[in-house]
Amino acid sequence: MYMKNFKTVIGKTSLIFAVSLLLFWSLGPIYWSFVTSITPPNDLVSSELHLWPETVSFEHYGKLFGATSISQGNEVQSIWPQFSKAFANSLVTSIGATLLTVLIAAFGAYAFVRFTFPGRDILFYVVVATMAIPAYTVMIPLYRLMISLSLINTHTGVIFIYISAFLPLALWLMRSVYQAIPISLEEAAYLDGAGKTYTLMRIVLPLAAPGLIAAAILTFLNAWGQFMVPLVFSPTLATKPLTVLIPEFVTRNYIDYGLMNAAGIVAIAPPIILVVFLNKYLVSGLMAGSGK
Amino acid sequence: MNRILNRLRPLPKLKEAILGMGYVTPVFFIMGALVVLPLISTIWDSFYNVNPMRAGTPFVGFDNYAKLLSDPNVQKSWTNTFIYVAITVILETVLGVGAALLLNKVKFGRSWLLAALILPWCLPPVVNAVVWMWIYNPSYGVLNGVLLSLGLIEENRVWFNDQFTALFLISIVHAWRMMPLTAIIILAALQAIPKDLYEAAKLDGAGPIKMFRKVTLPLISGGLAIALSQSTVFAFNLFDEAWILNGAGLDTRTVMIQVYMSAFQNLKFSYGMALSILAMLASLIVSAVYVLRIYRETRFD
Repeated sequence: MYMKNFKTVIGKTSLIFAVSLLLFWSLGPIYWSFVTSITPPNDLVSSELHLWPETVSFEHYGKLFGATSISQGNEVQSIWPQFSKAFANSLVTSIGATLLTVLIAAFGAYAFVRFTFPGRDILFYVVVATMAIPAYTVMIPLYRLMISLSLINTHTGVIFIYISAFLPLALWLMRSVYQAIPISLEEAAYLDGAGKTYTLMRIVLPLAAPGLIAAAILTFLNAWGQFMVPLVFSPTLATKPLTVLIPEFVTRNYIDYGLMNAAGIVAIAPPIILVVFLNKYLVSGLMAGSGK
Repeated sequence: MNRILNRLRPLPKLKEAILGMGYVTPVFFIMGALVVLPLISTIWDSFYNVNPMRAGTPFVGFDNYAKLLSDPNVQKSWTNTFIYVAITVILETVLGVGAALLLNKVKFGRSWLLAALILPWCLPPVVNAVVWMWIYNPSYGVLNGVLLSLGLIEENRVWFNDQFTALFLISIVHAWRMMPLTAIIILAALQAIPKDLYEAAKLDGAGPIKMFRKVTLPLISGGLAIALSQSTVFAFNLFDEAWILNGAGLDTRTVMIQVYMSAFQNLKFSYGMALSILAMLASLIVSAVYVLRIYRETRFD
């Protein structure tokens, strides 16, 4: 009896230890970035380590959001115009790509599951197989195509490239969602005289809502984090997203780490909000998207 | 009247086929125009010499591929990429399986732990790289600070001065981001294992290690194959982390960085295309090897 208690105590302790190790690994770097972003600039270059800044300062955020600010003793122009434009660009391209991808996948995947038409299976397998193609393999022809369509440096061009990159995953996910919905519901609707499209919109899509949300989250996160595509296709601030702007804060002789971490914290806020509130859908989506 | 209308209606089968094709039309055109045709164009052009700075596009056969084999920068980037693949795949698999086993045991607050675990995967890789760049900073970075205060090093190190250290540190940043995906895939596989198998093994007197080897491992092998191949493909495509942390530096240059530089900085389009085709083939072959291996070794015995 005593031995058994001893064993469970050991088991509990090692479990707690392992959980804290995992939390430290996952959240430690994000925590450190946050601490850096609220540490006064002078304390960043001290040799002492503080787990929480001795004085909390929002100076770095001031540089991002304020009109002007002081850097190394000089008054400098705020980077808010650039930063807000890049943030808006990130939002426009990510949300645009997400809505269109989910819409196209919702109808496309339904056809792949419930309808028979010539070329159905081959189209599906070709689309899924493109997930294995690295972005750079198609980047150069895409570049020429976008130039000839004058879609370089436009939101539309970037959105369509994102759709082509993230549609296969969304289709794969929605296909497994539709397969799990019992067909009897749809047959009942047909018997009542409902058309196929009406049935999909009114009966199937509400049931598939968790899958649609999961597909939307995955697409949004992928688009929000993209770097290679906008590096090539969004050369100016007209369409440049945050992921391309933030590394440009590194100037040749001086890296403002406080500013970069503050900008990073702002850039990771939307993904963090999604994970905190919609974690359930995200995990089920990843499980369905990766398995089977 | 009604009878005539009925006869005029197209056959339901045909109607269904037309509707189905209508639903997939956007998929067909977007994937065709933006992925399939560009891929064919890449393969085709890799046998020509396409350079926007030069007139004409002469056919050169396998010249681009032959040049790639003897280019020292390309060779270096291949070596680096294989080192990245080896380190990140091992790190992601070991840590990912460990995290999945742990999550499968935890009952209290599991969804919050899952959220914390998955967070690094959800963040932009560029921001991750910036955050770690500050951690690795030679003068004020927390890595030097912690190691100094623990007495493990005597003075601040400039981490990226040593090539292998640099490759390892970049691999950690990549593995930090990608490990959650492995963990989620393995966790899904673990949750599908019937509980009574463990009870049966317990009755047979199997210890925890034997149970893991004889029950858990064979039953998660499918998930493991998927996790390994996605880790490999992502590691072959490593770009963001290495580019942010060390730019075009040859010591840490990956094949994808080499493609970017050849094509978009030196404007040797065909050369870059040929290299990107080789990179795609390499990642596909390596992942196919895992899948075949694992399926062959763990067919139920």
